[in-house]
Amino acid sequence: MAGTISNRIDDTVLVREAQRGNRVAFEELVRHYDQAVLRLAYHLTGSEQDAQDIYQEAFLKAYKNVGNFRFECSFYTWIYRIVTNLCLDHLRRRQVRKEDSPVVTGSDGEEFSLMDQVRDSRPGADPERDLMRRELGSRINRALGRLTPRERMVFELKHYHGLKLRTVGEMLHTTEETAKNTLFRATQKLRGALADMR
Amino acid sequence: MKCDWVQQNVIHYVYDELADDARYEFEEHVGRCANCKIELSAAREFRQGITTAVEEPSPNLLAASRMRLQEALETASQGGLWQRLMLDPAAWLRQIRFSPALAAILLIAGFGGGIGATYQLLSARTVASQVVPVQVQAPNEAGISGIRSISQQPGTDRVSIKYDTVMPREAEGSLKDQQIQQLLLFAARNNYNSGVRVDSIDLLSRQPQDERVREALVYALRFDSNPGIRLKALEGLGAYVKDDIRIRNAMLDALLNDTNPGVRIQALHLLQPVRTDSSVRVVLERLAASDESRYLRSQARAVLAQLPEMD
Repeated sequence: MAGTISNRIDDTVLVREAQRGNRVAFEELVRHYDQAVLRLAYHLTGSEQDAQDIYQEAFLKAYKNVGNFRFECSFYTWIYRIVTNLCLDHLRRRQVRKEDSPVVTGSDGEEFSLMDQVRDSRPGADPERDLMRRELGSRINRALGRLTPRERMVFELKHYHGLKLRTVGEMLHTTEETAKNTLFRATQKLRGALADMR
Repeated sequence: MKCDWVQQNVIHYVYDELADDARYEFEEHVGRCANCKIELSAAREFRQGITTAVEEPSPNLLAASRMRLQEALETASQGGLWQRLMLDPAAWLRQIRFSPALAAILLIAGFGGGIGATYQLLSARTVASQVVPVQVQAPNEAGISGIRSISQQPGTDRVSIKYDTVMPREAEGSLKDQQIQQLLLFAARNNYNSGVRVDSIDLLSRQPQDERVREALVYALRFDSNPGIRLKALEGLGAYVKDDIRIRNAMLDALLNDTNPGVRIQALHLLQPVRTDSSVRVVLERLAASDESRYLRSQARAVLAQLPEMD
């Protein structure tokens, strides 16, 4: 908690500096949050390229608009709000343009993701463990893909980012109670879709 | 009824989102009810299972994203006060309504500025024919439109850099000079003229102990379109392949994926001191087995032959 308060103080100083046009201060703010931003974008888009684009757009938007930041919420909530909006737009667009989905149906009717067919060329990859992880990951991704963009976002922020639902509600301009209901719906759907994995 | 409530809230319990009193009630009930206990353990299993299988972004992706953002920030401009006032005149009026002192200052500044500008205009007419020497100040990157040339005085560490802002300028100083370094770093990333980029990378690579310089060299190695510049960057980074994992990864990436055979061969040579490293060994095995270049295949095999057998 003390760490959080000290972060907030640091952020306030850095935001004020960034508002005066100090780019180094803004870059320091970026370093505080960019791993979380990239992680969020990567989980939600499943694509390195899209994640990088969202990362770029989110921080450029923040840089251009930091002068309008009024300290009504924490900088952390603000930057998350920007990135969640970009991700939601992306997910909604993808829902409309299904042809972009990497998931295709094989001749036996089984769905598989084209992304899974791309070989992992990173040094040190263990093929067997990698295959199992991929299979599991691909099932989870398919299940996550069936959630609505909002359900997906609430689940992501709660499960992978460990945010409190009150904060999630604040980021998504909704109440804690609504975020709670959305999380419940999302997990019900996921547990239904992954029931046979147990 | 109680079991229904527990089932509705089990996920909130698992994610630590129940208030203390509700949490207490929940635990009391689960302690007594076998079915709800099973439900709780299933919810915990779900939470655990869904965590382990998800892929995280690689450190390389983060590094590449940071570099790309840094590059974009160099040319991006902030929406400043003027833009804010243009976009939101109501807020501006509110500020004035609630801040009479600010309004007074603005008025005084307006009058003062007007008088000052008039005075300057009149006095400029009288000295229009005088030549004012241009003072070279620390360059502001946002104001630099390009670097025209970089030249070093032979036998010294003095460097002269010609660059353009609104008007052509020239900066001269030692390689250790912060202003010179700033211009060199700018030239390494932003210049369209590859000759200037070669010169800047060449000079920067003499001081790779500087973190910013290393970052610029890694950037050049990964992204510069000119193979000569990538080679120069490789040379500069060579001494740090043992100590800096980012540099090692960038070299491995160049060894595997660079389009230029010369860069790949140079990367292979520079990676020799860390050939026992497992990530290097994996890449060497891959090259030895299936690389399209016969020379690289044979070189990789030769390096592998020097390595001790693994159990």
